[in-house]
Amino acid sequence: MSRRLPYPEGTTPGGKGRFEGYEVLGQRRYWDEQTRKLVMDRLENTPELKFFGLAEAETAGALLDVILGQHEEPRVPVLAMVDARLHAGQTDGWRHEAMPEDAVAWRESLLFLDDDAEQSFGRRFHACSLEERGQVVQGVQDAEGAWYSLPAKHVWSLWSRYACSAFYSHPLAWNEIGFGGPAYPRGYKVLRPGWREPWEVAEQRAGDPVPWATRVERAKRSHAVRTGTEADNR
Amino acid sequence: MSRFSDKAVRERNESAWLVPTGQQRTNWELRRQMRRYDHDDEVDLVIVGCGAGGATLAQRMARAGFSVVALDAGPWWDPDADWVSDEAGSNKLYWTEPRVISGDDPVAMGSNNSGRGVGGSMVHFAGYVPRLHPSDFETMTRDGVGADWPIGYQDLKPYYEQIEEELPAAGEHWPWGDPHGYPHNAHPLGPNGEIFRRGATKLGLRAKVGPVAIPNGRFGHRNHCIYRGFCLQGCKVNAKASPLITHIPDALAHGAEIRPGCMVYEVVVSAGRAKGVRYFHEGAGYFQRARMVAVAGYSIETPRLLLLSASSAFRDGLCNDYGQVGRYVMVQGAPQTAGRFSEEIRMYKAPPPEVTCEEFYETDLSKDYKRGFAIQNVSPLPVTYSEHVTAQGHWGEVMREYMRDYVHWAVLGSLCELLPQQRNGVTLADDKDAHGLAVANFSHSECANDKLLQKAAQSVMEDILRAAGAEEVITVKRYAHLVGGCRMAASPEQGVVDADLRTFAVPNLFVTDGSVLPTQGSANPALTIMALAARCADYLRSTSRSGLLAP
Ligand SMILES: Cc1cc2nc3c(=O)[nH]c(=O)nc-3n(C[C@H](O)[C@H](O)[C@H](O)COP(=O)(O)OP(=O)(O)OC[C@H]3O[C@@H](n4cnc5c(N)ncnc54)[C@H](O)[C@@H]3O)c2cc1C
Ligand code: SF4
Repeated sequence: MSRRLPYPEGTTPGGKGRFEGYEVLGQRRYWDEQTRKLVMDRLENTPELKFFGLAEAETAGALLDVILGQHEEPRVPVLAMVDARLHAGQTDGWRHEAMPEDAVAWRESLLFLDDDAEQSFGRRFHACSLEERGQVVQGVQDAEGAWYSLPAKHVWSLWSRYACSAFYSHPLAWNEIGFGGPAYPRGYKVLRPGWREPWEVAEQRAGDPVPWATRVERAKRSHAVRTGTEADNR
Repeated sequence: MSRFSDKAVRERNESAWLVPTGQQRTNWELRRQMRRYDHDDEVDLVIVGCGAGGATLAQRMARAGFSVVALDAGPWWDPDADWVSDEAGSNKLYWTEPRVISGDDPVAMGSNNSGRGVGGSMVHFAGYVPRLHPSDFETMTRDGVGADWPIGYQDLKPYYEQIEEELPAAGEHWPWGDPHGYPHNAHPLGPNGEIFRRGATKLGLRAKVGPVAIPNGRFGHRNHCIYRGFCLQGCKVNAKASPLITHIPDALAHGAEIRPGCMVYEVVVSAGRAKGVRYFHEGAGYFQRARMVAVAGYSIETPRLLLLSASSAFRDGLCNDYGQVGRYVMVQGAPQTAGRFSEEIRMYKAPPPEVTCEEFYETDLSKDYKRGFAIQNVSPLPVTYSEHVTAQGHWGEVMREYMRDYVHWAVLGSLCELLPQQRNGVTLADDKDAHGLAVANFSHSECANDKLLQKAAQSVMEDILRAAGAEEVITVKRYAHLVGGCRMAASPEQGVVDADLRTFAVPNLFVTDGSVLPTQGSANPALTIMALAARCADYLRSTSRSGLLAP
């Protein structure tokens, strides 16, 4: 239990976050054993790839990072987490009639993504520049109807569901967003808007007191540059 | 503070006193001493599924002295060892066996609406337990849409009262539908509920705290809620109700046998009467004989099981002579709107169910749609909340920026009464599951009224949040709950079961789960499902005594 964390306290993915110094795992001694084991295992043991082949892993890793805007270290090991899920056949409990099973849909869609990248930029997806990758991915999001043999909107939902559920189940991401994390058996005591538990950290980075609307605008602009959709977003 | 006599509840259902005090959540002694039946024993009743409907029926019938075996495909949970305070780690609570979804407006399954294991979907339900309104039982007569039930509100009312005491439900006095009070006082509000109430007050809308199936004050050996916000991941505290702690313990104490890990694949019928069920357990096949069979696998699996039980006497599926099995499956339109506040909200604290507004529940003649919706607050945890953000089309840096702002958002959800349609329902797909059984294909498409309702609900939620001070609102379109698929009706041409939940086709076969609802109102369904099962138990007890069930 008193083991040290594999990173400095308060680390966030890519060093981004608005809760300076907040470490969700600082509370782990107040969590139940089962939850602590599960979360620490997620943090300390990155599973080896078993589902994706080498080339698939290159494409999938690059895709997941683009969807999640993960361009700098330290990273949440989303590729390994998604791989483990697919290897274990842990689906969300359904597939669309017009889609193959998740595992097959993942493999096929990665091939199509490389095809798109080859056609537009003459290289496989992971070998493209950040901006080029952004454009290819934006193309899939914007596609109406079928994208190759798959319905584009279902592909998009498959990718983003797997990506986000891995990323936002990781304690590094909880640090980034200020989430209180597991809360049993300790529970919460301070339930009023604008108030915090003594161990929660107030939002707002000292060096970045930019209002919400401006921050979102800024993110949208940089996203537009990355995806070549600048004109639509101004 | 309790306003009713615990003694009366205890005499009817002792479950809350049978869960242990102290450090454990499970009464292992009770499980060890469980009565066990042989496969060759012809038990009085075998029940398929130990969820809201199945477990309630098991408890009532066991207490009345019937021999009962209740099977569930999933595990028999121990909250201490099996459940975690973690979204991704709770995947095992959901029915994630393969299913196909289709139609113009397909409905996501799994964590969204389907549980698996003793306690059923209520293990991870949010905990809202409102009643239906009297109008819900006759929407065809009143509004010319939906269907009339073969029973009325008054038939169910005594059972609503019983179950509200057994869960027990906590909430303010309820002014809507048939006005009534709740056995426990309302819980203190969390931050998200506070925002809801603030906005509603500004708009002059009535909003009430509750009703939630979480005791507020002493109730047997159940622990008090610690406001940890993980109700949808299974309550490790034994505060939030689920049949695992509200009905199974009493069933065990009265001789019922619970068999987890048993996937039923056929209801065996011969010479017009049910003889028992066939099931797989750890790869092997078994047959349990029974005098009566009740199916309670919920709106997807119950129709699937009846369709899988086709035989020479029932070529198109058991009880399906009139093509009613699997039809009229409904989900509630459940758009959720999030609002951004300059102060920190931290909606992950407190149980997600808190406040409800039923002002828009019934048909309003000034509107261009029939029936209505309810508004409740919901408080998604990060993984679920990320779906709100990605639903706006955001990804990459923009998505991250929105998520980084998580503590500033409050979320309201609505439940819109989508209408029952013959075309919405369950058929068997070509895909097979691990047992080689055909999986369900659930097709769902909205009608015009459905779309109008959801739009109206969204604008009310936006108004409430803006009135509370939100500077930006975003909405995600989604669905919640399942009901229908084997609806009750006045005649076999219109439904699968009669007013007492007995199938029209097979006199000793019953359906006692959410699939029997002919309409859904804008109320969360679990309380109604339990009340219907309790009513069915009363019917079975009275008719069995008078010998009606003899062949
Ligand atoms: C996330 C979520 C939130 C919810 N929130 C609320 C809420 O706030 N309020 C509310 O009222 N309702 C809520 N619900 C819905 C509510 O939980 C269900 O409506 C209710 O539990 C359904 O009862 P049931 O008896 O029909 O089926 P269930 O409770 O689902 O029980 C069915 C059981 O049957 C078993 N089974 C199925 N097929 C077979 C088979 N062939 N063989 C053996 N066993 C089988 C399953 O494993 C399951 O345990 C929520 C549901 C979810 C998922
Ligand atoms: S908020 Fe309360 S009822 Fe919900 S899981 Fe936590 S302790 Fe249980």
